[in-house]
Amino acid sequence: MKAAGGEVPRHIGPYTVIACLDDEHGALYGPPPPVPERRFFARGSDGDTVLVCVPHPGVDPGRFAAEAGMSRYLLGTWTAPATWLAPPGEAPWHARAYEPALPLPMALAVLGGPLSEPTVRVLGAALADTLSVVHGQGLAHAGISPASVLLTAEGPRLTCFGAVRAAGPDGEPRYGLPGLETGSLAPEQAAGGHPRQPGDIHALGATLAYAATGHTVPERGEIPPVLRDVLTACLARDPAARPGTARLLEAFGSAAPDMPGTPGLSAAPGASTAPGTPEVPGPGWLPGRLVAALARQSAVLLAADIPVPDTVPSPPSPAPPVPPPSPAPSVPPPSSVPPGTAAPSHD
Amino acid sequence: MLTSLLHDDPQGFGAYRLLARMGSGGMGTVYLARSRGGRTVALKTMHARIAADPDFRTRFRLEVDAARVIGGQYGAQVVDADVAAPTPWFAAEYVLGPPLGAAVELAGPLPEVTVRAVGAGLCGALGQLHRSDVVHRDLKPSNIMVTAHGPKVIDFGIARALGDDRLTRAGAAAGTPAFMSPEQASGQEHTPEGDVFALAGVLVFAATGRGPFGDGQPADLLYRVRYAEPDLTGVPHALVPVLARCLDKDLSARPTTQELMLQLHDGAGEFVDHLPRALLAEIGRCAGGVWQAPPPRLPAPPRADSEPEPEAAHPAHPARGLSRRRLLAIGGGSALAVAGGAGAWAYSAARDEPAPYKKPPPGPSVSASGGKHDWRWQSQIVKGYGDKSPAHPFRAGGLVVIRSGVGFQGIGIRDGKARWSTEDFESDQDVASDGDRLYRLVDLDAEKDRGPKAMRFPLTIAPVDLHDGSRKKALAQLGTFNGVLPFNQLVCAANGVLYLVAGQGEKSRERFERGDTWSLLAVEAKTGKKRWTSPLPARTGGERLYVLAAQVAGDRLVLFQQTADGKVSIVAHDTGSGRALWNKPFPGPAPDPVDVMGRMRTDGDHLYVGGSALRALRLSDGKEAWSTAPKRAGGVFGPPSAAVDGAVYAVEKGQGLCAVDAGDGKRKWREKGAGEGEAAKAAVADPPVIAKEHAYVRGPSGLRAVALSSRKTVRTYKTTGDRFVADEESGVIIGVGDRFVAAFDLL
Repeated sequence: MKAAGGEVPRHIGPYTVIACLDDEHGALYGPPPPVPERRFFARGSDGDTVLVCVPHPGVDPGRFAAEAGMSRYLLGTWTAPATWLAPPGEAPWHARAYEPALPLPMALAVLGGPLSEPTVRVLGAALADTLSVVHGQGLAHAGISPASVLLTAEGPRLTCFGAVRAAGPDGEPRYGLPGLETGSLAPEQAAGGHPRQPGDIHALGATLAYAATGHTVPERGEIPPVLRDVLTACLARDPAARPGTARLLEAFGSAAPDMPGTPGLSAAPGASTAPGTPEVPGPGWLPGRLVAALARQSAVLLAADIPVPDTVPSPPSPAPPVPPPSPAPSVPPPSSVPPGTAAPSHD
Repeated sequence: MLTSLLHDDPQGFGAYRLLARMGSGGMGTVYLARSRGGRTVALKTMHARIAADPDFRTRFRLEVDAARVIGGQYGAQVVDADVAAPTPWFAAEYVLGPPLGAAVELAGPLPEVTVRAVGAGLCGALGQLHRSDVVHRDLKPSNIMVTAHGPKVIDFGIARALGDDRLTRAGAAAGTPAFMSPEQASGQEHTPEGDVFALAGVLVFAATGRGPFGDGQPADLLYRVRYAEPDLTGVPHALVPVLARCLDKDLSARPTTQELMLQLHDGAGEFVDHLPRALLAEIGRCAGGVWQAPPPRLPAPPRADSEPEPEAAHPAHPARGLSRRRLLAIGGGSALAVAGGAGAWAYSAARDEPAPYKKPPPGPSVSASGGKHDWRWQSQIVKGYGDKSPAHPFRAGGLVVIRSGVGFQGIGIRDGKARWSTEDFESDQDVASDGDRLYRLVDLDAEKDRGPKAMRFPLTIAPVDLHDGSRKKALAQLGTFNGVLPFNQLVCAANGVLYLVAGQGEKSRERFERGDTWSLLAVEAKTGKKRWTSPLPARTGGERLYVLAAQVAGDRLVLFQQTADGKVSIVAHDTGSGRALWNKPFPGPAPDPVDVMGRMRTDGDHLYVGGSALRALRLSDGKEAWSTAPKRAGGVFGPPSAAVDGAVYAVEKGQGLCAVDAGDGKRKWREKGAGEGEAAKAAVADPPVIAKEHAYVRGPSGLRAVALSSRKTVRTYKTTGDRFVADEESGVIIGVGDRFVAAFDLL
């Protein structure tokens, strides 16, 4: 398998691909968790850099496009609404402006271990806050998994909205569908149930467990003690037994209010700063090695010079994409490519 | 800070299209630029008129050579150059990190581990230069960028090959006295040992926040560099002997870069492991900030109607570094400063909060889906670097004027079209609007480092031309007040009178100084005549603004006035005489100054405040007219609205919107569903906006409109904005988020 999910396209819609966001090496223990969609750094014809996503082979393009379209209406500080979509009738993709970001599994690989417990708590608070907003909109996210959480210097981004719905219709089992991570998928959704909000809580619990231990299905003893009860509750088989977002916010906020070295230096814009509310990510919330990895990714993409074709090949037909005019794209040599910029094979 | 391109900046150089300005000095300008293939670089130019002098052109070429010698590990990788062009330029890697000077301002004196790691990195950089027979000659905190992977040395403006005598005039007066070696200070050849001396000075600065020979006049500094012992007070104990040896007057006693590197650091761990968190945060911000949309190019300045101005008041192109005034808003906290100076690479980093909202750009793919947005229009604004307080929207003459990037942007309130943007407004405290006209203080911060003249300038007030954002002819210049002081404020404009906070004294530091005197004054907008002045309490230090909010109500000017230690009191002046009529502490528990900033609500009789209770204070004497406290202890109320039709509205924490009688404070009603759902989550920090029989209240799912008649939520606007003002005339409520302004139709 090439770079998480097949051959790397040279072009996606109007974009020229620079590199893959995800790579197949970046796992802490065993194979990396599946990524719900294929994600690439790419350049537009105006030289702008984007993160562009396409469905896995075999995923229904219509379902993928519908979720991408819906994601544009997401509210909340840490969501990642799509900004640009494939025109109707063309092979689907969605894109948004690039910002330096590491998928959670890659972050663990860079660190060589799980995130510290205070960082997990801040991450949990931000994601629970996001879910409370999304649920307040009457939506179920249905796409939370380790790979759907991107870490940026300013906070997380919850991506892959609707991945479960896109992967397969209700009423059919979803076990083992491409891109779905088994431990994050709530049992009722795996069995084919319509994705509902309690399923998001399950997925959040599994994802935070992954952040704290490297596994989405950890042994109870592996989970840091202050998170043990709340994460275990999230992972309850019975959807009704899982906590709501308010309880999660309380749990992540109150677990250790004055712990020294708690990450998070500033309140999120618009967030309540009343005492007792959980700390939210802000500049400085990430460990140094992740900041360094983000800076390197940013530097590599700043330096990447990608010849852009004059006329954009439009890829609706199944024909192979038109190769760009010479000279061939100059992509940074793989040896200098940091985590998060797995070089595509252009051959 | 990235600032807008000026109207006459070129489109690009070579294959690079210019995006924004990073900084500018006497010699040239540094731009952020991008190739067609998207490679993004810092592009440094030398003004054509300066490059016409062969000595300067040679100097520029040598700079490019030196930058190439140091390469990408220890410097900014040069990727392209044309030193023969009329305007010579070179493009180099955009470095992701703050200059050391700014890093120390941000994080305070650096821990010993950081100083050692930075020092070891700099030894590597200098070693690389020296092996190629190049000496830097001007190593100083502003020429060193701290990245996640080690320090990078930039700005080789006066670097030269050893023994190179091609530079006669241009390179003669080179070096920065505070970090100069004694041999350089006495006019002798500067050698690699001189760079080691400067390196040690830089490390003393990193560890203590000041250079080993202090600061002051260049002549005094040069004397101390040559004859005085370095001051190593505050340098970590173990570093003292190491650095003292480097600072020996006898250059043969100094260690080589190789020796020094071994003494500083054992090479364990990664560089980033040795950085304090504040610095990590800044590097993270730099890595992300460069990807933000650059501010738009500025329009050409107006021509005919602009009248001659005092020269110093109108710098031709106030291309500035980081505005210090921006950081003052509330006071306290850390402060950043830019490494400035001609030829220095301006520090560039957009300091931004996470973006909750991304503007969907126009395009067939977006509009095709038929999704309907709640807004009438919305417009992107740029969060300024270092902004401590949220941008406050001003309404003036059919425009919303709001801080964006370094300047302000004027946006048509009806159509959302950006009419103009500026880069020489300073901050909200410099601007006031009476609804029709906009006024500003003219500031000279851009010139603050350009000699003693710029340390003092008459306090100058000018109207702003709402057609293009330019400054019109000054309406008043008050020579008794110093317009350069960073704590001057234009606090409000009402009934043809402008009210200001202004100081007398010399600008020496970015804080209040003992001996300065400060006054509140009233100036007639039409004639520029001073009506009165009223003294403000003396300050002996600190950097808190005097006034957080101000309003004129009847014949009272009411102020939320801040004390030096951050307490808030309420002061009322007679608008006719300026006499202070009463002065009361803010009732109830002390509010956070941020919460009351710009949030005052008065009507003809009362001032209304929230907190542990809703209270009305009589404007006549400041006494409490009523309070909800005795009946409902334990409640928390946000800032109330002014009285509308006999009621005052506020958000009660955990409940939602409530209305009390403006006459006696008795509760009239709570909204339907109070205490549950959206109502319980209503944002307490914001005053409800009352317009056309509805109250607009912010909550987690957006802005709710609550009908005052039925007390029910009748509509929820999807928005992440968190500051709202209504404009009934145009039928909109304006919402402001960190990155956008949007207008929603009023019900």
